[in-house]
Amino acid sequence: MTALLRYQTALLLRSQRWLPPFLLYVVFLGIGVQGGQPLLDSLGWTAAVLLPTAAWLVRICVMGEPPAARTVVAAAAGPARAHLAAVLTALAAAVLLGTVATAVVVFISDPVGADHQRRVPVPEAGAAGFLAALTCALLGTAVGALTASPVLRSTGRAVPALLLGALLALVVSGSPAHAAVTGLVTGSRSATVGLPLLPLLPLAGAVLVTAAAVAAACALTSRRSP
Amino acid sequence: MDRALRLTNAGRRYGFRGPWVIRNIDLHVTPATLVRVEGPNGSGKSTLLRLLARVDAPTEGRVSGRPRTAYVPERFPAALPFTSFDYLTHLGTIHGLTPPSARRAAGDWLDRFGASAHARTPMSQLSKGSSQKVAVAQALLAEPELLILDEAWTGLDTEARAELERAVAERTAAGAAVVFVDHDPRRLTGTTDAVYTVGDGTLHRRAAAGEGGGGGPSVGPEGPHTTIEVRGPAPLPPEAVGRATVTEGTADRTHRLTVPASHSDVVLRALLTARPPYHVVSVRPSDPEGPR
Repeated sequence: MTALLRYQTALLLRSQRWLPPFLLYVVFLGIGVQGGQPLLDSLGWTAAVLLPTAAWLVRICVMGEPPAARTVVAAAAGPARAHLAAVLTALAAAVLLGTVATAVVVFISDPVGADHQRRVPVPEAGAAGFLAALTCALLGTAVGALTASPVLRSTGRAVPALLLGALLALVVSGSPAHAAVTGLVTGSRSATVGLPLLPLLPLAGAVLVTAAAVAAACALTSRRSP
Repeated sequence: MDRALRLTNAGRRYGFRGPWVIRNIDLHVTPATLVRVEGPNGSGKSTLLRLLARVDAPTEGRVSGRPRTAYVPERFPAALPFTSFDYLTHLGTIHGLTPPSARRAAGDWLDRFGASAHARTPMSQLSKGSSQKVAVAQALLAEPELLILDEAWTGLDTEARAELERAVAERTAAGAAVVFVDHDPRRLTGTTDAVYTVGDGTLHRRAAAGEGGGGGPSVGPEGPHTTIEVRGPAPLPPEAVGRATVTEGTADRTHRLTVPASHSDVVLRALLTARPPYHVVSVRPSDPEGPR
């Protein structure tokens, strides 16, 4: 698995396909986050826009390899493991992106509630923001895995499905990503950080949902092709 | 781990209600055998090879056995952001080699196929033939237990074709199974253990030439041959005799073997590593009208 992850990571970095989602994420952050804004609000935004970014990264990693090269790797390592490596590489990239963005946001934001009066404890807020980013990266990975090959193979259907899936994952109540982001925003209004239970529950939910989605996609790779 | 791959009543179709591409396939790929699959275009040869490589799962029936598998696709469009050497090193580690031995094997195999000059060339700049050499090297560098070649010879130059034939002989001699499809009906004739034809959506066994020769690979008289003369003790090693078309004692302790050209290296290796080793007197291409 280490060899597969190294190969997929090299493929992602050298192909420079990571650049468009990375730029999209930076632009989204530029729109929603400015220095001196309330910390928890900015962290909520940082986590929320990571979700479509993660979904796009998964799409890039899963679809980026030419079919013949994918078959060669699948024969050597097994199709499910090869697919899993691609998805995990995307997830790792999204988590890295989210971690760096969270750190930057903690550094430049004002540690106050939405009313700009009451103080918010920075370490707790940062931890909650990181867990929310993790939740969104995971759920974005689930959306990406379910809207790319082998589940949806025509680009015409897959891209709208990806956008719709990312949107629903953020706005539907009951979605772990929605719960994590809402937790941060309501925390900002009351200037409290609901550690540790509040951000951990959505994270656990996201882990379960994503594991199921990725497992389904991996199991499907050898059944649907090419 | 079970090294022998077995398809039991396997079938494959694409989509939920698609037509069956192949069906009712029973095939046992035993170690140390060379299997040829033939059939007209679009008959399902590639689908069968993908089932054997376990890249695709059968829609019905089952597949068992997990040999370490390597696969060479028919076309290898190398739109990958690596140099040949880096790609082969990555693939070597995916096949289970350690990074240092993967680098060594990558260099060795590029050299064997005459592509050392392209080691540092980005794969997107390789010619069709050179990228096919990379595809073949990828499959051979980790010494797989099952090698699957889907028209792997197409696009290779003459020397690389002969090198691939020798590599196939080495793999089968080392106990690996090799399954291949090739449009050239003379490819590896005389060394093939079994020939299957894909037709009417299923698989038919065709008796191979000279089949049934006690255990070792059955050999026929077709194809280019090499004559090897050696001096040494009387019972020649079975690895050498099993691959020879003709074996004769010419004088006291002197033997002449006629072997398929692709197997000459394997036979020589068996003779030179025997205990005590044989002395090689001469090696030359057989006369086309040569000893039968």
